[in-house]
Amino acid sequence: MKVVTGVVGNDIHVVANRLIDISLQSRGFEVLNLGVNTYLEEFIDAVVEIDADILLISSLNGEAEGWCRDLLFMKQKYDLSKVIFIIGGNLSVGEASTEEIIPKYKEYGFDLVFHQVDLIEGLDEIENYVKENKK
Amino acid sequence: MSLLQRDRDIIVSNEYVDHFDFAEVEEFVKNASKDLFISHKFKTHKGKTLVQPRGGFPTYEKMFALYEQFKIAGVDVLPLTIDSHTRLNDYGSAAKMLRLSEESETDMLNGYPLINHGYRTTRKMMTHFNTPISLRHGTPDARLLVDMAIASGIFEIEGGPITYLLPYSKNFPLDKAFLYWKHVEKVCAKYSTLNEPINRESFGPLTATLVPPAITIVIQICEMLLSLEEGVKSFSVSFSQSGSVNQDIVTAAVIRKAARKYANKIGCEDATINLVYHQWMGAFPRDKDFSESLINTSTFIAAMVGADKIITKTRAEAFGIPTKEDNGKAVQNVQYTLKILKGLPNVVDPEEEENLTRCVDEIFEAIFNDPADTLWRKIFNSIKKGIIDVPFSPHIINANGVITVRDKDSNIRIYEKGNLPISEKSFQFERSKLNLGNDKKNIVNEIIKDIGVML
Repeated sequence: MKVVTGVVGNDIHVVANRLIDISLQSRGFEVLNLGVNTYLEEFIDAVVEIDADILLISSLNGEAEGWCRDLLFMKQKYDLSKVIFIIGGNLSVGEASTEEIIPKYKEYGFDLVFHQVDLIEGLDEIENYVKENKK
Repeated sequence: MSLLQRDRDIIVSNEYVDHFDFAEVEEFVKNASKDLFISHKFKTHKGKTLVQPRGGFPTYEKMFALYEQFKIAGVDVLPLTIDSHTRLNDYGSAAKMLRLSEESETDMLNGYPLINHGYRTTRKMMTHFNTPISLRHGTPDARLLVDMAIASGIFEIEGGPITYLLPYSKNFPLDKAFLYWKHVEKVCAKYSTLNEPINRESFGPLTATLVPPAITIVIQICEMLLSLEEGVKSFSVSFSQSGSVNQDIVTAAVIRKAARKYANKIGCEDATINLVYHQWMGAFPRDKDFSESLINTSTFIAAMVGADKIITKTRAEAFGIPTKEDNGKAVQNVQYTLKILKGLPNVVDPEEEENLTRCVDEIFEAIFNDPADTLWRKIFNSIKKGIIDVPFSPHIINANGVITVRDKDSNIRIYEKGNLPISEKSFQFERSKLNLGNDKKNIVNEIIKDIGVML
C-alpha cells in the first residue's frame, strides 16, 4: 500500500518524521515522505499524483488545527473516497483532552486521529484499521 | 576591477548597509592587532585547548556585558552568534526586533544582528576586548555577513555550504549555497594575505543525531578542500561528542590524518589544519547538576583527543538560551578541568582506525570519480546520489538511506548503508558490532533510545 506522509505547517520536527518513515517501510508500506514544513495542498497533490491509499499527516508543534480545517474543502476537489486520512502527533497548542480533540479532527475529515499516542501503538492500530476497512 | 570586487560592491549596496568603505576596511585588517586573530593564537598557544563558549544577544550593551563576563571567566575565544532573521538575510525583520529589544528589557532576537549594528559600531567592541572572535551563524548566503564580520574585526568564520544547509533547511537550493560560499572563501582568502590568516571552521555536529563518524569526516574534509582551493590558509575541522569515548578518540585520529592527506593531495601543504571539539550537541538532561557532569565528561574527551579548541555548553542547556552568568561559569569550569587533566594516557585503537579510514577513503574515491568538472559539482552530485547522506537532515536533497544505531559500547554504527559507497568489508565490520537481528520493527525503539542516550 502507498502512503504519503510528512509534517504539516512550519514545523521542523525532522526526527519524528524520519522515524515514521522508517517504521512504515519496515512494515512493508511504500512510503512517499514529503518531510517537514509541508502544506496541506502539497499533501493532497501528492496523494493524487501517486494514487496513494493512505495520507498520514503528523504535527508536533500543535499547529495542525489551523491547517487542517480546509481538508473537507480540498477533498471535494478530487475523488478521494478510497483514501484513508490519518493525523497524529501533538494536535493542540495548549493543553486539551483527547476526548475533545478526536471528534474535532474527525469532523475535519480524518478517519483516524492519534493525539500523543506512542508511535508503535499507533502504527499497530493503523494496520488493524487497514485490514478491517478495505475501502 | 575584479569580478569578485564587482560582486561585493553590489552585495553591500543594500538599504540596511551604511556606506561600506572597502579601502578603509583593508587598512584596518592590515594594521589589526594580532591578538584578534585565532590563527595567531593557535600558533602561539600550541598544546592548549582554547575555550570558546556560544552566545549572542540583540543589543550592543548586552553583547558587551556578555563579553565582560567571559573575560572574567578566562575565555580564549569569544563567540558572536547571529540571530535567525539575519541568517535568512531578512534584515528588515531583524531591524524591527532589534528596535523592540532596545526599547524593552526583553530580547526579541536569538543573536546579534550584525548587519543592522554595522561594522563601525561592532568594531569598537571587538577591538576593545582584543580577543579572537568567532562568527557563529547558519547562513546559506553569508556573502554580506562575512564582509561585515571581517570589517568588524571578526577573523574566524564558521560554516560552509553543506554543514550550514543540510541540518537547517528544507529547500534552500544546495547549488546556490556552494556558489555563495565560494564567494565567502574568496573574500577570506583575500584578507588572509594582509595580516595573519582568517581562519575558516566547518560545523561538524551536523544534525547532532546519530551521524556516523565516516560521514562527518567526509563532509569536514569536503568543506576544507573547497576552502583551501580558493586560497584559505587556516582551517578548522570539527566534530561533536558522539556518546562513546573510544569512538571520539578514533574519530580525532582519523580526521587529523585524513584532512592532512587530502589537503596535500590538492597541493595545500602550507595550510594549517586545526581540530575543534564540540561538547555534547544532543538533548541535555533537565537536571542542571547532571548537565555539569556531562560537560565535564566532554572536556575530558577534548583533552584526550588533544583538540585545539573546545566549544562549550552550559548547565542550562535544556532550558534555552543561558544567562551570561551560567555561560561564564561554564567557561570557568572547563578551563579548570583542562588545567587539572594531566598525564592522560595515549589511547590508540588500530582496528577501529583502520576501518574508519577505509570508509572515508572509499567515500572519497566515489566523490572524486564523479564525472563533474569541479570539486563543488562532484560534491553536489554526491549528495544528490546519496554518496554523502546525513541522518535526520530535513533537506529535500538528502537521500535518507543511511540508518544508524548504537552498539553496546554506545558507538554509532551504520545499520543500513543506503547508497554509501563503502565496501562489503567495511559494512560487515559495522554490522558485526551490532546484535539487532533482522526485525526492523524494533529498530525504531533502538533509535529513540540511542538519540536520548544522555537523558
